[in-house]
Amino acid sequence: MNEYKQTDFQIDSLRILDVNELHFTRLDSGYLDLEYKGNRYEQVSLTRLQPFYYLDTYISVSFKNDEDEWIEIGVIRDINDMSKEQHDLCAEYLQFRYYVPLITKVHSIRDNRMGYLFIDAETTAGRKRIAVNDWWTNFRVNNSGMLTVTDSDGNKYYIPHPEEMDRKSYRKLELFM
Amino acid sequence: MNLKTPLPKGIPECIFSLPFDIAENGEKTAGFLTADREQIHIYDSDGRELNNFSLDSFSAFEATRQIGCSMLRGKRKNDDKWQFFCSFTQTHYIRYAELAKILDYYANTGVFVDHSDEEEPVCPKCGLSLDGSSTCPYCAKKGSTVKRLMKRLAPFKKPFIISILLTAFSYACDLVAPTLQRYLIDDVVQVQDPDMELFLIIAGTILCLALIGTAIDFITRRININITNGFIRDLRRDLFDKTQELSMRSISRRTAGEIIRRVSEDSRTIQQFVTDNGKEMILHTISLVALVIIMFVSNWKLALLVILPLPIAAWLASKVMRILDDRNSRWWRKTVASSRYLHDMLSGIRVVKSYGSEERETARYTEISKEVSKAQKNIDCIWYILSPLLRYVIAIGEFLMLYFGASAVMDIEITLGEFVQFTTYVSMLYGPLEWLTNLPRVLSQAMVAAGKAFEILDERIELKDAEIPADKPIEGNITFEHVSFGYTAYNPVLKDISLEIKQGEMIGIVGHSGVGKSTMINLIMRLYDPTSGSIKIDGTDLRDMTSKGLHDQMGVVLQETFLFNGTVLENIAYSKPNATFEEIIQAAKTADCHDFITRLPDGYNTYVGEKGYNLSGGERQRVAIARAILRDPKILILDEATASLDTQTEKQIQTALNRLIKGRTTIAIAHRLSTLSNADRLIVLDKGKLVEMGSHTELMKKHGVYYQLVMAQRTTAAIKKQTVTA
Ligand SMILES: Nc1ncnc2c1ncn2[C@@H]1O[C@H](COP(=O)(O)OP(=O)(O)OP(=O)(O)O)[C@@H](O)[C@H]1O
Ligand SMILES: [Mg+2]
Repeated sequence: MNEYKQTDFQIDSLRILDVNELHFTRLDSGYLDLEYKGNRYEQVSLTRLQPFYYLDTYISVSFKNDEDEWIEIGVIRDINDMSKEQHDLCAEYLQFRYYVPLITKVHSIRDNRMGYLFIDAETTAGRKRIAVNDWWTNFRVNNSGMLTVTDSDGNKYYIPHPEEMDRKSYRKLELFM
Repeated sequence: MNLKTPLPKGIPECIFSLPFDIAENGEKTAGFLTADREQIHIYDSDGRELNNFSLDSFSAFEATRQIGCSMLRGKRKNDDKWQFFCSFTQTHYIRYAELAKILDYYANTGVFVDHSDEEEPVCPKCGLSLDGSSTCPYCAKKGSTVKRLMKRLAPFKKPFIISILLTAFSYACDLVAPTLQRYLIDDVVQVQDPDMELFLIIAGTILCLALIGTAIDFITRRININITNGFIRDLRRDLFDKTQELSMRSISRRTAGEIIRRVSEDSRTIQQFVTDNGKEMILHTISLVALVIIMFVSNWKLALLVILPLPIAAWLASKVMRILDDRNSRWWRKTVASSRYLHDMLSGIRVVKSYGSEERETARYTEISKEVSKAQKNIDCIWYILSPLLRYVIAIGEFLMLYFGASAVMDIEITLGEFVQFTTYVSMLYGPLEWLTNLPRVLSQAMVAAGKAFEILDERIELKDAEIPADKPIEGNITFEHVSFGYTAYNPVLKDISLEIKQGEMIGIVGHSGVGKSTMINLIMRLYDPTSGSIKIDGTDLRDMTSKGLHDQMGVVLQETFLFNGTVLENIAYSKPNATFEEIIQAAKTADCHDFITRLPDGYNTYVGEKGYNLSGGERQRVAIARAILRDPKILILDEATASLDTQTEKQIQTALNRLIKGRTTIAIAHRLSTLSNADRLIVLDKGKLVEMGSHTELMKKHGVYYQLVMAQRTTAAIKKQTVTA
């Protein structure tokens, strides 16, 4: 019976990973390999638990078992605590997995009155014409003031502090926020 | 679908070529991937080959979604590990998914298809993704909202035209008055010995005209009231109709609060606008045109002066409209947010109260209300700054006219009578103009509301009834043929499910939570259409039946029991409104709810309260079962129908149900596996796939997924027992 309890608790409790014990290697599968406290995990993936707020902190580490199920190994509190080499590897992986360009400048923004919003904007991935459908759900400011945009293809963009943009861009955006 | 993007110079042509835009380190790039029946090549932005792979060394290919991007991968034959090829933004996803399908097909069958038969996913004109629709949201020209509102007036054409004619006539009467006045001044008052007879005739005519005008006014007012009421009634009806027709997919995109607001409030805004301004709009348009013509006829020079600033004013007004439009639409969104919030809170009031968070919620509502009033204030501010400007521009015309007109009288170029007549016309002109200057504000508000209404009316109906429905009485054979389904495209919940359920069978669906059991019955009920494959009942594809023809012969108890705010009787009778009371009692008996209903003070007339909250969870579930069996369905669907009941009550209902389910196809879902003990066959779902099928004994022998589920339940039951005894 005790055995049951123990396994239960492992599933139940938050396991914060010791950053000094983590050793990732990048694979050509698009995933990572991990050695942690003597265990080897293959096909490991990193997931931001709060992708809107914490970009470097609270990163869930999970691996795919033989039955193709994702099993969480634990959570990294802050990847900045890792060694430089390991940190860069994780940061690069996260950047690869989360492709969310930043909108830096808004040229024009138009509501077609049929549920679509068309934004012509400069982003960190170049100039884009972003078409947002159902835009009052896919173009939103969250509680911390960050504007997140998901276009009709599923591409994501964000503006962390809209009010800090240049005045012209902000004035255009503000009407739709 | 075009899977052959033109390649830059230096990269050899290939059967398939697609661009990719994300490098392995997550930076943007502009590379290309090409593939033929031998190899996959990866090129960077300079056309250098980065990598190449032999197709034959992979056993599978897939395009997997990440967040905001996706990647193409293949499974290596030698070590069964995935090999990453390239990563790209979602814009390219559909093409890569199609390419992956083709490559995967090759890996599985050895047949290489060198083109795609899928339709082009983007608008040929602007390249915007079409999302399965046939018209491009960017390029599609929709008629302006005003025009579309006018179109909706079509059924009221006759009274509308009569109303216009009458208005025009009454207006014509008004117009004659100034001319008569001129005669009065020039020919009667200003001459040496006035002609009393002429005076009386003119005065009498003026009086008569006034009387006729009033009478006509009364009649047109009545006609107009009828028109606006009918117009709004139709609009509301159509909106409600549409919300009923919309698929689960579109309806769950919006919250109930938002839909309520659209159906009730928006149509009210339009109604108010039409009632307040409909008549004026006609009247003032007619009068403007008439007055301008008359003014030009009587003195074109002065008329020109008056007209001069009007084009500028019109331009200004349209600018103001544009500015207001976006602001009104923002105000609209804020009010929707507020009604959405209200609805959400009130539906969850039990949770709010039980967590004692009333104050927090009040604070949040205040915050939302503040936003609404801020948006409103912004509109007001803009308006109070811009509208005087508009008025001023228009007034310039009058000023010019008075100045030059008066000079003309001094110089005796025109008579005083003529001048007075002219100024009277001009002053008549300012009535409509004044109204026009106010128009942008109300019009903009109404047009936003109308636009939102049309947005709903324009929504595509995804689950269309067949044009020539093949409805017939259902026997109850259900076939799944390679059914795959996902709530969002390319995120499959059910994968390639094929099975046959014979008439009269009882089938149990089991599997872990979230595996897609409820999804499967959603498909049988055709709340959604499969992404691929087909579901047939008695050999007829669900898509060839009407929704009514299908649902009339199904009885459903959903996982979340929902009762309407009404009496117990009404709720049971919901599935068969013409049922006799005895039938209802019989159904209630079978579902084991007759007894508790009898004990309620108001018996079958007891109100169940909002969502049935006045009943216990188990009571609600039993009422829902009664509702499902009352209609004597050919197909009975029970999704966790007895989950909230104690084992004994469940047993009782089970025995009753056993009698009932004879001869009908029953599909039952239950986590408590004992509930399904008398199922003919069990379907076991795992990771979206159908992994096992057979009777309880067969599956137990197999020692597979089902065996593990049963064992797990036995152990937890054992633990419970131990904990209790400890
Ligand atoms: N309306 C929806 N939109 C998007 N995803 C959904 C929707 N409904 C269900 N899902 C997802 O589809 C998957 C299958 O859900 P489903 O309701 O069929 O599970 P289930 O097998 O009935 O589980 P349970 O036993 O807990 O009722 C889940 O992962 C769920 O998150
Ligand atoms: Mg379910």
